[in-house]
Amino acid sequence: MTDAEPTLYVYGVLPASERRAVTVAGVEDSGVRTVRHGELAALVSDLDSEALAAAREVRAHWRVLEEASAGATVLPVRFGTVMESESAVRDRLLEPNAERLVGLLRELEGRVQLNVRGEYDEERLLRAVVSGSPQVAALRERLQTLPDAAGYYDRIRLGELVAAEIERRREEDRAVALERLEPLAVSASTEAVTGTEGAFNLAFLVERGRLDRFSAAVRGLAEEVGERVRIRYVGPLPPYSFADAELTAGEAGWD
Amino acid sequence: MAAVGAPTSRGYLERPRPSGLADVIDVILDKGIVIDAYVRVALIGIEILTIDARIVIASVDTYLRFAEAVNRLDIAHTDDSQGLPELMESVTSGGAKSKTEGALEGVKEKVFGDDDEQEKEKEKEKSGRRRSSSSKRSSGSSSSRSRSRKGS
Repeated sequence: MTDAEPTLYVYGVLPASERRAVTVAGVEDSGVRTVRHGELAALVSDLDSEALAAAREVRAHWRVLEEASAGATVLPVRFGTVMESESAVRDRLLEPNAERLVGLLRELEGRVQLNVRGEYDEERLLRAVVSGSPQVAALRERLQTLPDAAGYYDRIRLGELVAAEIERRREEDRAVALERLEPLAVSASTEAVTGTEGAFNLAFLVERGRLDRFSAAVRGLAEEVGERVRIRYVGPLPPYSFADAELTAGEAGWD
Repeated sequence: MAAVGAPTSRGYLERPRPSGLADVIDVILDKGIVIDAYVRVALIGIEILTIDARIVIASVDTYLRFAEAVNRLDIAHTDDSQGLPELMESVTSGGAKSKTEGALEGVKEKVFGDDDEQEKEKEKEKSGRRRSSSSKRSSGSSSSRSRSRKGS
């Protein structure tokens, strides 16, 4: 090949023994193929353009990995990874990292990721904070009698107390969730909570064969904390949170 | 194949319905194997994707917002407000989003739309793009990622 070789978008890495093709469209509506090297295969698409529209392509990235991982173990590569050529995928990704990638694939074989997120209803949460903390309730009472300008620092203080109380509740609820679910998982990962309504955000690596038991435990948790936390249960997903290795590829070859 | 549950009376989401992108977007953007020197090459609009509700609970603005929200509560109703009608309502409405977060949520929904709205996305992205300059989170930085993986 000459310099006309296309750049490649890389979705993930899976065992070369995996033969089923991905049928959904990839980034830029392109087809998805594999680049093979030894025991490994990289899922890729040829790219035409220099730049990708992220909001659109993140969906393609997700779709491809979802389908590929329906029956196989796939290591998702971070969204937005583009390599300059097929030989770069072999020589910079698969070849130098073969041992690590094969090891990760073995470790994750037969396992899927389940995300369990807890969310508060903000108003109900704040009511609970006020009624549960005499300090907050008292400061709130006092502020009601002051004009806004006069109470500036008190308002900051009130907000600080509320934030601390919310954080304490978060920690409690996260601990309960971990206690109930972690025993049924191979591994657990605590992820950042997004938004003020977030209670906890947990990722679990679970054996496919234990999915039903895990789901039952999630149901149990939801019943236990349902008065104050709404649970979102998502999966099975490719093991995004458990395949977050950083690989060395050296200098990208297109500069 | 991923599924998000549907609401039950206890607020638990039981499967199945296909998970929306919004449910997994954090995972997709922040997780997965990183091949150094190759991440996020030539992506347009990545900043928009990262303006989600990553609110840090440690700023004066946040405190003032909380104070305001707490002050707004109609506390006279506190004692009996946890009754069944309200509980059911907030469950069926999908856990009423707070108004103050509306702007950020709006951006997210605007960018992603519904699952079948792919055609509109490029257009939407353009209109959302001017917001990217206000992103506090650099798309290229990996230092802010949480790495709390257990075991190996």
